[in-house]
Order: sequence, then C-alpha cells, then structure tokens
Amino acid sequence: MSVTEIPGTSAARVVQEIAPWIAGYDEAAFRAVADAAQHPAERAAREAAFQKYAAAPTPHGKMEEWRRTDPASLPFARMARLPYLSARSVGGHEWDEAFDVVIAVAEQGWQVMDRAGLVAQGAVSVQELSRAFIERTISEEEIAAWAPRPDAVDKTALLADAFWNVGFYIKVAEGVEVPRGVLIRWANAATSKALIGRLVVQMGSRSRMTMFERHDAPLRAEVLSVFSKRIHLGEAARVSWATLRMEGDHAVHVADEWISVERDARVEWTACNFGGKLIKARFTGDARQAGASVEMDGLYFARGEQHMDQKTLQAHSSPDTFSRLLYKGAVKDRGYSVYQGRIMARPGAVRVDAYQKNNNLVLNDGARADSMPGLQIDADDLKCSHGATIGNLDEEQLFYLRSRGLDEQTARATLIRGFFEEILQRLSFEPAREAVAQQITARIAS
Amino acid sequence: MSEQDIQNVVSDEYKYGFYTPIEEETVPKGLNEDIIRQISAKKQEPEWMTEWRLKAYRWWLKMREPRWANLEFPPIDFQDIRYYSAPKRREPEQLDPELQRTFERLGIPLHERNRLEGVAVDAVFDSVSVATTHKELLREKGIIFCSFSEAVREHPDLVRKYLGSVVPYTDNFYAALNSAVFSDGSFCFIPKGVRCPIELSTYFRINAMETGQFERTLIIAEEGSYVSYLEGCTAPLRDRNQLHAAVVELIALDDAEIKYATVQNWYTGDKEGRGGIYNFVTKRGHCRGKRSKISWTQVEAGSAITWKYPSCILEGDYSVGEFYSVALTNHKMQADTGTKMIHIGNHTRSTIVSKGISAGESNNTYRSLVQILPEARGCRNHTQCDSMLIGSRCKANTFPVVEAENSSAVIEHEASTSRISEEQLFYLQSRGIREEDGISLIVNGFCKEVLKKLPLEFAVEAIKLLEMKLDKSIG
Repeated sequence: MSVTEIPGTSAARVVQEIAPWIAGYDEAAFRAVADAAQHPAERAAREAAFQKYAAAPTPHGKMEEWRRTDPASLPFARMARLPYLSARSVGGHEWDEAFDVVIAVAEQGWQVMDRAGLVAQGAVSVQELSRAFIERTISEEEIAAWAPRPDAVDKTALLADAFWNVGFYIKVAEGVEVPRGVLIRWANAATSKALIGRLVVQMGSRSRMTMFERHDAPLRAEVLSVFSKRIHLGEAARVSWATLRMEGDHAVHVADEWISVERDARVEWTACNFGGKLIKARFTGDARQAGASVEMDGLYFARGEQHMDQKTLQAHSSPDTFSRLLYKGAVKDRGYSVYQGRIMARPGAVRVDAYQKNNNLVLNDGARADSMPGLQIDADDLKCSHGATIGNLDEEQLFYLRSRGLDEQTARATLIRGFFEEILQRLSFEPAREAVAQQITARIAS
Repeated sequence: MSEQDIQNVVSDEYKYGFYTPIEEETVPKGLNEDIIRQISAKKQEPEWMTEWRLKAYRWWLKMREPRWANLEFPPIDFQDIRYYSAPKRREPEQLDPELQRTFERLGIPLHERNRLEGVAVDAVFDSVSVATTHKELLREKGIIFCSFSEAVREHPDLVRKYLGSVVPYTDNFYAALNSAVFSDGSFCFIPKGVRCPIELSTYFRINAMETGQFERTLIIAEEGSYVSYLEGCTAPLRDRNQLHAAVVELIALDDAEIKYATVQNWYTGDKEGRGGIYNFVTKRGHCRGKRSKISWTQVEAGSAITWKYPSCILEGDYSVGEFYSVALTNHKMQADTGTKMIHIGNHTRSTIVSKGISAGESNNTYRSLVQILPEARGCRNHTQCDSMLIGSRCKANTFPVVEAENSSAVIEHEASTSRISEEQLFYLQSRGIREEDGISLIVNGFCKEVLKKLPLEFAVEAIKLLEMKLDKSIG
C-alpha cells in the first residue's frame, strides 16, 4: 500500500495494490490441486478454469459489485480447501424417503442414493463431475455455451470452477419426469475448512424435475462454502428448484448460480437464505428463446451481525419471454441485507414481460437494508417494471391484532410470518416449508 | 407504425442555432493560475474571491476525471477550452443592440414592458450577465436578485457566508473546475418572511465558440420566505462539443420554500451526434431549516450529454424534498440523470417523479439515491420512475439505490418501462386525430405529473418544446 498526503488537509489518499489472487488460492495452491487430478481430462478442465480465474480482476471495495460487501471479509486466506472428496457412506436424513434420488455431501465424502432405480434405468444420470469430464458426457465448452453472461466474470465463481473438491453432473433424459424429485444435502462441519462445490444440471427437452437443496453447518462452525451451480433447461423442460441455506451464524457462503432456459421451458427458483455470517450470492436467470419463463423467489432474514448480499439478474435474450421475481427480506439487530436486482432486455428482445419486486422489513434501528432494483432495457415494445419497499411492520396492522387480544410479541411474530408466507407457498415440499418456518420463528424470537 | 416511419426521424430544426456576430472580450485558451487571475480581474473581484478560485483550481489538479456514468464520450482536452468570453460593452450600462436583437429572437424579454407579466429576468450571454429586469421592484421588498458577479461586489458578506456551503469545491471534479473558473450566474436572496411577488428567471445563452460555460447560482431563502425560480438555456449550432459545467446551490432556512425549475434546451448535436453541449452540472439544495421545502422541476430536452443529479439534503426536521423530471433523448443524445435525497432530519419526506423518453438511438439512464441515516426517524419517500421507448434502437436504464438505516422509514419505489401503446394510438387515430398529434397527446399525458409543476407560461413552452423534439419520431 502506498499513501499520498494531500497538502493542507489531514486526509491522505491510500492506494492499495491489488493482488492477482484470492488469498490462499494462488498458483502454487492450484498446482497441488491439478497434480492430484484423477485424469488428464479433469486436469485440462481445471487448467482452463484456472486461466480464466487468473485473468479475472480481484474483487476490491471500489467495484460496484463489492461496494457493500467488503472482499476483505471473505476468509479464503484462513480456510484451507478440504481435500478432494470421494464416495463414502454419509448417513441418512429424514427427508430422504420423499425423494427419488438423494445426493448427500459431508466433509468426509459423498454418497448418491438411487432410491427409485431411475439412475440404474438411465432415466437420470448422476455422475461425479470429474468422471463426467473424463467420459466426455459434458464439457466446459458446452457449459460455457449456455452461460448467460460470459463477459461478466466473477473471480470467486472461477475459483470454484478451478479448485472444486466436490462436483456433480446430473442429466435428466428427454421426456423423463422424475416423479419425486432430487434432494442434494450439502453439510460441512469441518472448522476452518472450505467446501468448494460445483453442480451442473442438464434437463433434456420435455423433462421435468423438482430439486431441493439444503446447506447445513453446525450453528457455531466457522466454515467456508463456495459454490458454482449451473442448470440448463432444454426445450419445454420444467424445473422447480429450491435451495435452503442454513449454515449457522458463523459460516461464509459464496455462490454464483445461473439457469439458462430454452424455448417454452420454465423454471421456478426459490432461495431461502438464513445462514451464515456472510452470504454473497449471484442468481441469474436467462430466458434464451421464445416462450421461456423464469420465476425467481427469495427469502432472507439477517439477524445478529449477519450480512447477506444478493444480486439477481433476469436476462431476456429473446423476444416473447417472461420473468417474474419476488425477493422478501427482513433484518434485525445489526443485520445488513443488500439486494441488487436487474432486469436486462437485450437488443431485439421485444414483447418481453418482466417484473421484479423487493420488499424489506427493517425491524429495529441499527439494522440496515439496501435495495437497488434496476432496469437495463435495450429494446422497445415490452413491459418491464419493478417495485421496492423498505419499512417496518405496519402500525395499523399491529394495532388491529393487539386490539383483538394478541400481545405485542405475538402480533409482531404473526405479521412477520405473514410477510414471508407468499414465499413459503412456493415450496412444494412440506418438510422444507416447516424447516423454513422454523428458521423464521427462531429469528423472530432471538 | 412501420419501420419506414421510424426511419423518418426528425430533422428538427434547432431554431436557436444562430450565432450573434459581436465583439467579444476573451482570454486565451487553456487553464492555469494566470488565466484564473485574469478572469477574476476582468470581473473586478476582491482578493478573497480570487483566492477561493485558486484554492479550487489547485484541488482540481489533484482530481481524476470521473468516468463511472453510463455515458460514452471522447476525452476532453481541458487545455483546449476558452474559459472566459464576454461581449464588449460599448458604453457602461448600455445594452449592445446586437445583443438586444439576439434576446428578442430568443423570445426573452429584456425590457420591463414584458409580454410575460410578472417575470424578472437576468440574462447571461456567454460569461456575463447583460441585463437584469425588475431590480427596483424587488429591492423594495428587500429581495436581492442580480448577477453573481454583482453580488460578489455588492453583497460580499452574504456570498462569503453561503458560497460552497452546499457544494464545496472538493465535492467532485466538475464542481472544482466550476469553482475555479465560474463565469457568471444568478444570485438571489429572499429576506425573512418575504414572499417573492414575481417569478425570477435566468436565461443562459452560450455564443462564442470553443468556450466553456461555467455558471454559478446561489439562492438563499431566509426563514419563512418563498421564491419560484426558472432557468432556461440555449446555444448556437456548432460541430464541436462545448462543455457546460454549472453549479447551483440552494439554501432554505426554517419554513422557507424554494421552487427551482429548469427548461434545458442546449444544442443537442446533429443527427450523427456531432457537436452538442456536454451538460455536466452539480445542483444541490440544502433544507437547512425545519419545515423547509425545496423542489426541483426539470425538463431536459437538449444537450448531447446530460449528466446531473439535482439533489436535496433534508437536514431540518419535517423538511421536504421533491424532484420532478422529464428527460428526453433523441438521435444520439445520452443522459445519465436523476437525484439524491439524503434524509438526515426526523419526519423528512421526499417525492421523486421521473419520466424518461428515449427515441432514435439515444441512451437514457435514471440513477438515484434515497438514503435514510440511522438517526432519522419517521421519514418517507415515494419514487416513481417511468421510461418510454420510441423506436427499437434506443435504450432506457434505471439504477436506483435505496439505503435505509432506520426502522421507522417508509420507502416505496416503482418503475416501469414501456413503449407507446399501439392500442392507445389506434384509439386516437380512429377518432380522427393524426398520428403525430396522437403521440404528442400520449407523451403529454405521460409527462403530465411533471409538467404541472412548472409555472404556467413555462409549462406551455415546455410542452411545445417536447413536441418539437419528438416531431415525426414515431415508432
């Protein structure tokens, strides 16, 4: 760092030299990971990602994306990457019996449970990502071809693509409907370790699937999760995807997720963000061909010192596409939530119907919510609108409940649960709804 | 509306594009301490004013040109601009007949037999104020309305007290530049309890070529006072860009109200985007007193590039900030405009209504900040920003930022982007209204909420201006 003084004032301009690597994940670290690759194909894939990672600008506070989330708070330097995870028995969970395919990941390894034989039949293919690269069932080029914004590189996402220690490629064959869906459980209890995961899902045309994910870590565990998730929907495919981030109050979760939707395909995407200390997530939906529909719903509740930074993008790359987004969040204590949303209509994307809404509850002084809805429109003949609100619970509604005998605390709790109800209704799996409701209740009470 | 119609984009004649051949007094091109001293000397400024300019200049030298806006323009060579140009006075206090003719052509009444009753005018031609009307009438009420240069000479205490208190020269690159080389502008002071009986207005006309225009306006409304102020501007057609970097500071004390309206019609450049004014302006109002109110109303129809965020600092409890804007871009114009409302006091309120109209190949961006500080209780904001796109090659963007750090704030924001509805146009046409008139009507309705905030005479002018700018730009 160099410091220049401005004569006549007590201010000084500090110029920080930006390192090309994210701390701890430099060339030497990569060599070790690449050398441990199981096969040249896997190594080549990692190398390609690493080149892009090296070339990407390192996050610093002056970048628009990082203005409200200090990159220095990312604990990469003190969280060593868990060694590459291999197949191992991981143990069951009460949710397992409701799904056809379960993928369970813990710090000791991972396990795929083909509960209904769909994988054996070939209707659904679940492969360890490195194996998928080796057998060429999927390639980095194919994934890149689906990417909504190849130009908007994110160094943390590229880190995941190069350094991943667990990864899966799921393919649902054309016309297949997975009756009871897929469950992916990611759990990390290894203190001061980083779980770096990749997920690539390809839905064949006319296929259908519900996918639930949960991210767990012990309440006080200081762990790091870095995820890069990509989903591609072929023509007329339908996916309902929900992710519950419940990693306690001390974990750091960094995610870059996108869904690319082709002709007449539809996705309903729900994110419920509760843990941990810092969540920095990017969610992008790209409606690429006519008839594509993207629905994104989100729920977040920051308490204590939690910091949640969510950036969504509804991209419309084709005429006659639809998107709708509703993100609802609450902050209390000294929690800080950031919502940054954009609807982007590329040139020529006419007859687009896009809507974005962000509602925030600020429950006490000292909590903070920042909302930045945005529109970037390069085409005419479309309908795009957004709305955002920030405020506390409605005084009149509180009075109404209290005048019917509810005490203040119960009245507040009722209104907060009511606020989130809209999002809870989007979750089709009852136990998931209960888990989310429990998280909300715990936060209201604490 | 066929593609062919869209191609027939207006060769709208900028009827103010003429040039007045008049003897001008100038300084050489370029910028250095010497030039600044020359400018200050020509204006016969006291030592403290010269010093202030020099301090600003030295600060400016350390700053870097900002490039974060959603605008594209080639690098500006600050040494290739003339920073002062004033018409030579033949005799003191007498207006050059050429100048008189110019302002008549522009429709600006410089004599007190006004065709617009009840408007006092301060006319600024290039770097100097050439005439101010109704000064006596205003003086009777204790109101000071004069050119900024005159205020520096006649009312130095007031100027020193308030200059730079809302936009310090350290604020941003263009504010620093303006503070160093500001030419002229208006100064207005309304004493306690006085309601200004007539509209005050300043009219800016750039004439000389290769000059920059840097006006400085300062309006102070003391306790319980009221003033309504209007600013208008035009410039000749030229094929090189000219820089206009103004600074406007408004201060409202307890129970005071300032209404500031702008109808901006700087030369936009030709259809290929050559020439045109760069309008990089810093405008800020400080609601210093309790229950004070500042409202900004703007109709931006000109400039090659508009870059400005008229803002309100709501410090006094119960103070109110308003921003009403219509920004129209056509051909290759670009605009990155919006507002900032900073809520510091309790129970402060802000209202933002922004209407953007993009046509041709233009790029229109709305950018705003609504900030509620942690100690500000009971604040409210309502924002509505709408964009209308005309034609398939233009762009509209909206980048609002809301930061709420107090739990009692209520903030509502909505925005929409659409094009002129085919159905609405068909409805009008089927009732015998021509397509162009139909579009006018629809655009008028779109902007109504903003236009009704303008003083009546100027609302009429503004509507005519918008219609003229959009003439034949159908899509």
